Amino acid sequence: MATPDPGQLALPSGNGAVEHRPLGVFTRPSSSKGWRSWFTSVDHKKIGVMYGAAALFFFIIGGLEALLIRVQLWAPRGTLLTADEYNQVFTMHGTTMIFLVVMPIGAAFANYLMPLQIGARDVAFPRINAFSFWCFLFGGIFLNTAWFLGGGADGGWFMYAPNSSVVFSPGHGIDFWNIGLLITGIASLTGAVNLIVTVLNMRAPGMTLMKMPVFTWMTLVTQFLLLFAIPVLTAAQVLLLFDRAFDANFFNVEAGGDPLLWQHLFWIFGHPEVYLMILPAFGLVSDILPVFSRKPIFGYPFIVFSGIAIGFMGWGVWAHHMFVSGIGPVSVLVFSLTTMFIAVPTGVKILNWTATMARGKLKLDTPMLFCIGLITMFTIGGISGVTHSVAPADTQQTDTYYIVAHFHYVLFGGAFFGFMAGFYFYWPKVFGYLMNETLGKVNFWLMFVGFNLTFGPMHVLGLQGMSRRIYTYDAGYGFEFWNQVATIGAFVLAGSIALFIFNIFYSRAKAKSMANPGPDPWDARTIEWMIPSPVPEYNFDPIPTITRRDDFWYRKYGETEDHMPVRIAATDEVCQSAEGEHDVHLPSPSYWPIVTAFGLPIVGYGLLYTHWLSLIGGLIVVAGIYGWALEPPDDPEAEHDHHDDDHGPVGEVEPDRAEDEDLSESEKEVETVG
Amino acid sequence: MSRFRSPVAKVLIVASLALFVVLWGAMIWTAFEHDAVPLTTLDPQGPFSTMIDDLVAPVFIIGGMVFVGVLGAVMYFVLRYREKGDDDLELPKQTHGHTAAEVAWTIAPGIVLAVVAFLTVGVILDLSAEEEGALRVEVYGAQWWWGYNYDITGDRSFDSDGDISTANELVIPVGRPVELRITSMDVIHSFWIPALNGKADAVPGMHRDWKIQADAPGVYRGQCTEFCGLSHANMRMLVRAIPADEFDEWVARQQQPAADPPADNELAVAGQEQFVNLCASCHLVDGLNNEQIAQLHEDDEFPLVAGVAPDLTHFRSRGTFAGGIYNLTYPNPAGDDSPFGATCTLEDLENCGDPTDIGLAGNPDNPLYRPFIEDWLRNPPAMKPMAAEEGRGMPNLNLTQEQIDQLVAYLDTLR
Amino acid sequence: MADTTVHEVGLDAAAPVAHLDHDTNTGISNTKLGMWLFLGSECLLFGGLITTYLIYKTPLSGPTPEQIFDIPFTSASSFVLLMSSLTMVLAVSAIERGDHHRLRVWLAATAILGSTFVAGQLYEFTAFYREGLGFTTSRFSSAFYTLTGFHGVHVTIGILMLVSLLLWSLRGKLPEHRSETVEVVGLYWHFVDIVWILIFAVVYLIP
Repeated sequence: MATPDPGQLALPSGNGAVEHRPLGVFTRPSSSKGWRSWFTSVDHKKIGVMYGAAALFFFIIGGLEALLIRVQLWAPRGTLLTADEYNQVFTMHGTTMIFLVVMPIGAAFANYLMPLQIGARDVAFPRINAFSFWCFLFGGIFLNTAWFLGGGADGGWFMYAPNSSVVFSPGHGIDFWNIGLLITGIASLTGAVNLIVTVLNMRAPGMTLMKMPVFTWMTLVTQFLLLFAIPVLTAAQVLLLFDRAFDANFFNVEAGGDPLLWQHLFWIFGHPEVYLMILPAFGLVSDILPVFSRKPIFGYPFIVFSGIAIGFMGWGVWAHHMFVSGIGPVSVLVFSLTTMFIAVPTGVKILNWTATMARGKLKLDTPMLFCIGLITMFTIGGISGVTHSVAPADTQQTDTYYIVAHFHYVLFGGAFFGFMAGFYFYWPKVFGYLMNETLGKVNFWLMFVGFNLTFGPMHVLGLQGMSRRIYTYDAGYGFEFWNQVATIGAFVLAGSIALFIFNIFYSRAKAKSMANPGPDPWDARTIEWMIPSPVPEYNFDPIPTITRRDDFWYRKYGETEDHMPVRIAATDEVCQSAEGEHDVHLPSPSYWPIVTAFGLPIVGYGLLYTHWLSLIGGLIVVAGIYGWALEPPDDPEAEHDHHDDDHGPVGEVEPDRAEDEDLSESEKEVETVG
Repeated sequence: MSRFRSPVAKVLIVASLALFVVLWGAMIWTAFEHDAVPLTTLDPQGPFSTMIDDLVAPVFIIGGMVFVGVLGAVMYFVLRYREKGDDDLELPKQTHGHTAAEVAWTIAPGIVLAVVAFLTVGVILDLSAEEEGALRVEVYGAQWWWGYNYDITGDRSFDSDGDISTANELVIPVGRPVELRITSMDVIHSFWIPALNGKADAVPGMHRDWKIQADAPGVYRGQCTEFCGLSHANMRMLVRAIPADEFDEWVARQQQPAADPPADNELAVAGQEQFVNLCASCHLVDGLNNEQIAQLHEDDEFPLVAGVAPDLTHFRSRGTFAGGIYNLTYPNPAGDDSPFGATCTLEDLENCGDPTDIGLAGNPDNPLYRPFIEDWLRNPPAMKPMAAEEGRGMPNLNLTQEQIDQLVAYLDTLR
Repeated sequence: MADTTVHEVGLDAAAPVAHLDHDTNTGISNTKLGMWLFLGSECLLFGGLITTYLIYKTPLSGPTPEQIFDIPFTSASSFVLLMSSLTMVLAVSAIERGDHHRLRVWLAATAILGSTFVAGQLYEFTAFYREGLGFTTSRFSSAFYTLTGFHGVHVTIGILMLVSLLLWSLRGKLPEHRSETVEVVGLYWHFVDIVWILIFAVVYLIP
């Protein structure tokens, strides 16, 4: 294989195991085991797990912020938080939950599952994948360090101009928000390119697009949304950054700046954003529901096309966030109508899921309960969404708690219930042990009750006129009772999350004395269940050839003429075994993704405090990119390469140098911002 | 796998579902409770808000039916098709879909939505139509209060002779449409009186038209609903709708410049001097410091941040102050919600409402309630979070009690 | 098993680019597809900035576009950039033929033409600044410098890529079977050129 001689690397390269060298950091990492391997891993599974773990960490932070909000609003004239603190807390709660929790959990599932569902050994660009993760993590940490450096952003997650300008928000909070999200934006963008190429290019033989599992389809749609939505946000954020850092005039009203420009750009990003948060969960449910209904998804093509339709229509509805902004009656009319009709594909999905359950044999295990929770709770969110699409009604509802109720029913009752279903369903596949069912069911019911108690009352509060983003309210407005119910609900909800975390550790401890659940604990349908649990590093050996949708199911079951299933093979026979030699050639770990990503927050701190720090950060980024570009994706010295193999399993065998340059490109956009 | 079929589990499930039903029942029940929820959107008091309510009510009903349908179907399928036991192993028929059904449930919601869309279009157009014989008022938001300039003369200008300006409390005639031209001095705010119409953003650099109308006399409350920084929660406003003849009287009073306090009211005379020294660089009292304020506007034609504060010319004609969050007067007698209705007197205080019951605005003819205004003058940022050090909001002027007494006496004369 | 796995690209140094057809589902290599997607995303970024410029192109104070633009000068530098697309095509074709000498010549030519364009832009910025159009002067100036500056940075990054390719080629690290790398850099370069044509038309030509 024609790869550059490692002697040419910018930094000395070695061939040995890291642990034997005190200066091991400068040698190419080779171990895929041990805690250190996580920092250098390019394995999509490890990266997926890290996405999930980091997202859960941020979820706890965002959840604590939510509890602060709820305690503050327990009674009129709450005194837990000052106005300033409250404004920071709700801004950071929203930002954290959207950018650092829901999006990365989607990314976690996409990273871990999608390559398994299409029968690939990794994503198209494994090192870029690692880079995406580290950008996300460092961006998220950067954002949250604001708490220790003068306070978090306080302009709301939507950061409307001109309140976000230096005149009205002189602190650094908004700069942390802006730069932090620019960094996580790089993560989303590179991730999108990576995952789309993976889906389009790296499917197993026979896996045509219309045989792909729905989750993979929804990942594809989601990543396309990200690909086109993130740059719009980036453009808006660059304008904001230039306004704040260099006194530009984009949102300076005195110089003719237009505050609505920010709103348009933000919501052109922001509405596809909403769909890209919910679609991964729709995908998970569409794959999990059939397993526990014991029959295929009803109307697969309709489920897929409605997802695609949502993806397209999601671009034509952004101004429904601006019905009261003054965009004129014609615009209001148009966006009102487009928004109404996006309910059609969403409704199609709900009805197809319901029809999937009909005439099935429902196994009401925890993942199934969460799926049912999603179908019903998301329906509430969808219906309240239709009431906003009636623009005149929205002028009464928008910026009240009715909206807060709506999007929590969509994002918690929809996306997060779907993720919970995914966690319980895929836990054995990822970690090799099943979550405790009893705790899981208690978890579900506790979450169901807590969720409804928290967010249900917000419908009433909103319709009775409680405004969003207010740190206090007075007696005499009738807001006390339902606020108290919501606060109680929030603690129940927190309890259900605590129970989930407890269940993780409890089940793990119990699992030590129990047998491995095997490749296929649920009698599942898609091919990720035919490989051992936990998934071996190489995923599949051999790569399966796909003949039909739900390929794994049809390896186990045949069908009579009237579509009754007949067992044709034992599960063990059709599953792959972990035993034996597996000479599979995998991409080598690399330090460069984490090094390159590490430079970005340093550039950010430099922009805020002292510009020479930006220079250092920039040098780290440039050094990282060049080290990366000069490093072959596979270490020719690594042990596994001594086999004269033709397994050549990974897509990234060509050094993806040019692609690296693209990266440098988007990174430099951030640099040049300095 | 544990089957979770113990009695405890059944109790848990039934209790959770029962709680869900009770919760939603109680929510729907209380949502239509109109007493003591002054900001409710479900109790329209004017033609425009009624239009919205009439439009959305059937949508709520259809939505409720859809939800009950989905929930019913899901629950039925769960009960009907659930696995009946560990030995219930027979697998169901593997149906993949049904094209006719798919087409049906794509088209059916489409038709329902088309009907809703049709109705919506009409209301959007009606709500944006211009009204005949409307009173025109320029509304501007500023951190964190509202100002109003009335076009009384009807010449489409808001500052010709005879036009009036006021703040926080918008007084309108009953039964006459009021066209609002909404803008902002600094960041984006949103003007919202739920009983009279939906909300409209106040965007700096642009004016937008909106309208309200009240069918009956009364006090209608509102709240800024676009996040506008530190004291967003404390930016409230109210509309007093009064009969047309009372409105004319009110206008006539507002058209008068402020008179100097009578010479025998020594405290107020001293207070006026304090006002000129301490307050007149930001607050206008018509007839006292017009030139000073005019100069301010001239120096910085678009005063985005500092130098603008509520017009205090007829301060005492309002029932509330500080963005509508503190009572200036004793409130109306309990239960009487009419704008300038029954009055209470200092001698007969039990006839008045509780003045600390903040937000229940008083009749301006009622006696001054001193504690709030005194505390305010003593340290405004402690009463309402503001960023005075950044030029936004009222700073702490470290007034002595004597100065405060004088100022309150002067403000009390600004009828 | 081998038939089910993805073949390594580029093992066979003599193989033409077309053999990639077997390696991916779409027949387009991962790298190239990735670049196409990335450029699609870039369209939206420039779309946002161009829209911003269009909204802000009339300043409330300070010099106006009509007063400040030197159309002949910018036309000349635009022509230079356009020509660099031609030399880029020649570079790609050279490496596909295995003509390393010409490859280096054309890469160098492309980089030099690109640098000329960037130098012209810097000159233009300085001239505008002297005439009183600072970055913070008006909404027009902020939007103009941001849009054209972003494009200039893109060109500069392109030049860095070209120089890197040139250095690798000089060290013999750019054999024919890696011609796709040159091609992908070329894609980026052409994209940046096309964006400039759009910017030139929108900013300079349309009144």
